[in-house]
Amino acid sequence: MSFWRLPILLSCLLLLASGAQAAPLDRAALVADLCGDAGQMGQAGTALLDVAANGSAEDRAWAAPLAGAVLARGLACDEESAVLAEAGLDALTRAPREPGDKARKPLASLKNRSVFQLADAALALRSASAVGAREAALKTLERKPSQIPDGLLEAAAASETDAGLREQIDALAQTAALNASDPAARIRALASIAENPSRRALTKVSALTSDPAYASNDDFRRAVDAASARIERGIAIGDALATLYNGLSFASILFMAAIGLAIIFGLMGVINLAQGELIMIGAYVTWLVQQGLRYAAPSLLDWYLVLAIPAAFLVTAAIGIAIEVSLLRHLYRRPLMSLLATWAVSLFLINLVRVVFGTQNLQFETPFYVSGGVPVIGDFIFTWNRMFAIAFAIVTLTLTWLVVRKTPLGLNIRAVTQNRDMAACIGIPTRRVDMMAFGLGSGLAGLAGLALSPIYSVNPQMGQNFIIDSFMVVVLGGVGTIAGTVVAALGIGQINVLIEPLWGAVAAKVIVLLMIIAFLQWRPEGLFAVKGRRK
Amino acid sequence: MVKISRRSLLQASGLAVAGLASPAILRSAQAQSGPVKLGCLFSSSGTMANLEGRLNYVVKMAADEINAKGGVNGRTIEVMVSDPASDWPLYAQTAKQMLQQEKAAALFGCWTSVSRKTVLPVVEQEKGLLYYPLHFEGDENSKNVVYVNSPPASSVLPAVDYLMSDDGVSAKRFFMLGSDYVWPRTINKQLKGYWKTKGITESAWKEEYVPFGFSNFQTLVNQIRAFADEGGGQPIVVLTVVGSSIPDFLREFANQGILATDIPVLGLDMVEADLEGLDTQKLVGHLNCWAYLQNAKGPANQTFLKNWADYVKANNVPFSGDVSIDPMVSAYDSVHLWAMAAQKAGSFDVPEVTKAFDGLTFDCPSGYKISMTGENNYVARGVFIGSVNDKQGFDVLWQSEGTPKPVPFSPYS
Repeated sequence: MSFWRLPILLSCLLLLASGAQAAPLDRAALVADLCGDAGQMGQAGTALLDVAANGSAEDRAWAAPLAGAVLARGLACDEESAVLAEAGLDALTRAPREPGDKARKPLASLKNRSVFQLADAALALRSASAVGAREAALKTLERKPSQIPDGLLEAAAASETDAGLREQIDALAQTAALNASDPAARIRALASIAENPSRRALTKVSALTSDPAYASNDDFRRAVDAASARIERGIAIGDALATLYNGLSFASILFMAAIGLAIIFGLMGVINLAQGELIMIGAYVTWLVQQGLRYAAPSLLDWYLVLAIPAAFLVTAAIGIAIEVSLLRHLYRRPLMSLLATWAVSLFLINLVRVVFGTQNLQFETPFYVSGGVPVIGDFIFTWNRMFAIAFAIVTLTLTWLVVRKTPLGLNIRAVTQNRDMAACIGIPTRRVDMMAFGLGSGLAGLAGLALSPIYSVNPQMGQNFIIDSFMVVVLGGVGTIAGTVVAALGIGQINVLIEPLWGAVAAKVIVLLMIIAFLQWRPEGLFAVKGRRK
Repeated sequence: MVKISRRSLLQASGLAVAGLASPAILRSAQAQSGPVKLGCLFSSSGTMANLEGRLNYVVKMAADEINAKGGVNGRTIEVMVSDPASDWPLYAQTAKQMLQQEKAAALFGCWTSVSRKTVLPVVEQEKGLLYYPLHFEGDENSKNVVYVNSPPASSVLPAVDYLMSDDGVSAKRFFMLGSDYVWPRTINKQLKGYWKTKGITESAWKEEYVPFGFSNFQTLVNQIRAFADEGGGQPIVVLTVVGSSIPDFLREFANQGILATDIPVLGLDMVEADLEGLDTQKLVGHLNCWAYLQNAKGPANQTFLKNWADYVKANNVPFSGDVSIDPMVSAYDSVHLWAMAAQKAGSFDVPEVTKAFDGLTFDCPSGYKISMTGENNYVARGVFIGSVNDKQGFDVLWQSEGTPKPVPFSPYS
């Protein structure tokens, strides 16, 4: 059957293509449409898409900057026609001119925006000079495969010079053939769709079970079933990975917030309610470093998150030491007083920051290493800002462990934690150890602030969000153990993430809290208890 | 926080006793000379500080404008500012104090519906007058509250209608994500009722709530993606989270690579101030709906923006002079509406002022002539749909022809 169908189809396509090429592009009408109402703009967008697929090379070159200009609101419409505002060129003739006084920059509606995005990408795929730009354009087209105009991908593949990219274009063209009439092409399309499993692909493939070919053609049915089985498997793996990753990322946040507290609480039994505010100050110091770099060394601006590490640690450590020396030192025998004192410090710090910086969210640059993400498998997207927090937490964990286990300071801290009086007897300066440990704990909070700044909004109140969560982690983990903090953070993070999709975020919080209470009934000393001076 | 509220509780209950003890006749015969007092109930601390804080200054600015023209009924206006610290019960206590002790002629305040609900019994009992500048869930009509902003019928529903129309994105499926309190729950209930009348089935929507101040949106954004990929038509997110959850949600949403052209977000509480500190390049196209947008056309808006910038500079206000949000304009309108009503009534007594509401009109900076009727205490406002641009602001995507008549009680709930 397909023997006689193919030539007819081909000739039809040829006719279509030649017909489209025969009608010259009415450039003036297109520009007028771009300046028209929502309906006209939509038509103009579709026309641009058509130019990308079927237009002559000159037309394509002429049309290339238009879609992008509309998206960026860079097209200024005046009485004459329109001006590409950024380049200062007339949209129609490309002669340099300035827009008129009453120029209006049309705003694409959401629906038109999607058409123009597609048209911009289609034009870029055909005529952008850089391979990178063409690749990015292909990525945009991949998002809406059903709306790619006929013939675009074939034409693009034919003129593509980069072999790798041509392969990608061919692959996309294959998936686009899912609804073609040739069963062999459809089976090929199924196979290439199944290579990138996602829920969207599954929806598309399972819709084919109601296709007439599914009942009549055995090969096709087998291909559909195989593809959906493969996609389902991919989605399951992706979901499992996503849950793990989300849990790990939440755990890293909890861990960063809690580790400083664990050291302070474990060593001195001081409930430091200002810990959240030290996190906040760490984030503010990061912002200050960023602002400093903006003026002093703009070329290093992207690396402010790394360069701010020592500053965030040292400033918060200094503040912690100052609090210890001026306030807490005198209150060690009165735990309730020290709790109230740190609460006062926390209110003081919030208000101080509010007066100095204001209440608005701080503006952070998003360097390339913490922006966006890569799809891995199924619907699992590996987001870089979360990865940054996870990596940062792992590094912090390693360093903290090294300090506590391998340095003389760590040895002293452990000795004082276990038995303060005995440690004092054998000549350990317990007061100095307290001070240093408080500084270490505060500095770690500062680092937490740094790690959280690409994820959360930074404002004077941000610290208050963390204090309850971090106490939960510390108490569950067993006061003052690093291992306990790690395990508790991982546990709480993972359980939260598991419960959230089932019963919602509100219930997740409640259930986790109830679980912790129940656990502490059974094991009041937490997961890992230190045998020591604690009563 | 407990300590503050307890102290203020003691204060307030002490005041309440004092208020009850003083004969009622003394209250109405309050001092006829000296400035007339207006009270502000906006937090300068806590989660709402960044948003509510700026409204205090707008009220003061409006009062200054009125005073410059000779005040109201021959008396100047004095604005009292408080700090309820984003602590809902504290709003009620502060309101009580302002009405009983300071004899405030009118109160301007509250952002969240939960704070308005706590103040409501106080203003009703004390026969005060509260101007509420936020768009909200409706279903309330107290004669002691003036609802300056729009109920859902003239804010949320037109926006959702637009998104469902062919001009919008022909939305077919809806993911509702909100903070867990009365406003999001009521709005979503009404929306569901509305969709049912449009023949949309229950499988086309999903509803999720998060606690106040929630920031870890990773799992929820995953759920939204899964919901969108199920197919069945264009999905949208109706976002009713409030406060710092808004930027945190948007950041995660953009980071997972979702564009407005894939899944548009209709942020019902999203204002220009929420975009501060965000890279809006990847958020271009998301929507909000209010009765005013900073990019509204017209001379009234230009004047307002200039006055605000000048006021910020002259008075060292700790907020940006280049950002203007709907609740600011609504608070500004409130003060003028109150002054006009008091002038018309020739009195500051609440019943007299309330009687004067019928037929009031005011040229709002939004460019619309807003008006009140004798039917209820609602104000007819224009409707804007805004679209996020790459300069941390909103472009006007659509605006209503005129000011739709406000419908206090939704037929859909």
